[in-house]
Amino acid sequence: MSSQVSPATKPLPASSSPGSRGVFRAFVAAPEFGPFVLLILEVIVFTVRTPAFLSPGNIGNLLAFTPELGMITLGMTLLMTSGEFDLSVGSVFGFAPVVMWTLYNTHTTSLEAGFLIALVVAAIIGFANGWFVTRLRIPSFLVTLGMLLVVRGTALYITDGFPQRTWTTKSALTKIIVGEISLGDLRIYASLLWFILFAVISGYVLTETKAGNWIQASGGNPEAARARGVRVAPTKMTLFILTAVISAYAGITSSIRVSAANPNSGTSYELEVIAMVVIGGTALTGGRGTIIGTVLGVLILRTMRNGIVLIGVPGLAYNIFIGAIILGMMALHSGLERRHRSGT
Amino acid sequence: MAEELVRMERISKYFGRVQALNDVTLSVQRSEIVGLLGDNGAGKSTLIKILSGALRADSGEIFLRGQKVEMRTTTDAIAHGIETIYQDSALVTQLSIARNLFLGREPVKSPRLFNRLDQKSMNKAAGELLRRVGITKNIPSTTPISALSGGERQSVAIARAMHFESDLIILDEPTNNLGVEETKGVLRFVRSARDSGHSCIFIAHNIYHVFQVVDRIIVLRRGKKVADYIDPKKTTIEEVEQIITGMALDPNS
Repeated sequence: MSSQVSPATKPLPASSSPGSRGVFRAFVAAPEFGPFVLLILEVIVFTVRTPAFLSPGNIGNLLAFTPELGMITLGMTLLMTSGEFDLSVGSVFGFAPVVMWTLYNTHTTSLEAGFLIALVVAAIIGFANGWFVTRLRIPSFLVTLGMLLVVRGTALYITDGFPQRTWTTKSALTKIIVGEISLGDLRIYASLLWFILFAVISGYVLTETKAGNWIQASGGNPEAARARGVRVAPTKMTLFILTAVISAYAGITSSIRVSAANPNSGTSYELEVIAMVVIGGTALTGGRGTIIGTVLGVLILRTMRNGIVLIGVPGLAYNIFIGAIILGMMALHSGLERRHRSGT
Repeated sequence: MAEELVRMERISKYFGRVQALNDVTLSVQRSEIVGLLGDNGAGKSTLIKILSGALRADSGEIFLRGQKVEMRTTTDAIAHGIETIYQDSALVTQLSIARNLFLGREPVKSPRLFNRLDQKSMNKAAGELLRRVGITKNIPSTTPISALSGGERQSVAIARAMHFESDLIILDEPTNNLGVEETKGVLRFVRSARDSGHSCIFIAHNIYHVFQVVDRIIVLRRGKKVADYIDPKKTTIEEVEQIITGMALDPNS
């Protein structure tokens, strides 16, 4: 019961009754089980309604944008587990590519230097978020709401609201970030591989490392954690910076793929990202987080958007389904949480 | 004479105009278990919070092995080997027993890869500790704290102090909400801590529990120390009760 790779905590029945029945019960009781079932249901319903859903063309479509949003959710999951969240991710997603391509298009720097500068600028934004939250003790909701407006406003101001072109270059860097890969009929982007790599690393850090223990403790009971010598403020600060940098990287990925750095891109992504994270089972209030759940949450919402358009539901009705999924999943998670607390 | 471990010298503390502690001096020898008694509001918790770094005294000094020390934060106190177990034990309810036990001092194994936790040894050590503090029920150490009873949580906090071999362990009402078996475990732990050279300050409402384990009893009343060096072997429970409520004076003073 101790050697298996498992989330930070497991419900009681799982470990007290070993054997295949125990494994099955652990699987059912895991917070990721609900999202997993929902995703399978979605895939089944959409496939039955329209076989084109599982065609290589459609799967390639589905997996083009998913990694970009998915990368942000990874940072957000760690940050939310530590008890904070970041509303400025969508703005950074739009702003970072604007910085990079403006520097390059005006011949100020090389593409690679522009890329690094954009990431450093994002790190500074994340640091500012973390500084306001941990030093001035302002709730992250207010701090990052302010930052959302500052960053978006800056992006619009320096571009006069016009997109930056990005198609004039074919460098090794753009190939590494989001080059196209063909697997038979299926065409995917390198960004999918990066997303998988980032997901594996963040899942590993959260459940298997000392840092992960600190992240969960910082969100679960910051006073107790501090009393035990956990450096709560630096932990949160690091996660704010990480979230901003990965959002910037995702934005740059997107700008290369769609051949434009639009200062408006990423608008309202913050809410979709938070929705994906909580659907997966991460607590909005901190202390509990799951990368596997988040990846499922990303796939649930992206599949839903793709599938309902495919089966002929008007795209404008999309939000009805998303809202319903969020409400349903929250009801499920709170039910599990109550059972969890009562210790059965 | 035994070696002095901690000395709190002339500690005073005000909350607004209320004087919670008035010139209290307290010392604990090495391998000594001191019972701190007093009615509600006598200043026991305030005194302990000052020693554990959770509060700062308005005046007075703290000496550790003869050296003057500053307890600015609880982290300072832990670094000095003073471990406090509060009534509402400071645990992270979302984390497992093992992860709580090692929080802030996690063992890592190689290859380190971002400081990989040695979960196997954490869980093993946690299991042994739980048995030592008297949790006989078979609770896996991967169980989250939120699934435990109040008594079991208390035992986890005690197990933590045991494992890290603090010089001075402060137990603030450790037997509250505990079952018979768990209470026995706590008392057994306190005795074994003394036998292995640790000191304890034991605060409890239940004088019977205090009498079973302590070497010496100190009584606070309304922020003042009214008795010191009461020997539980030479004093009856009734006499101590009278001192706590103010109906009698310290027989030794």
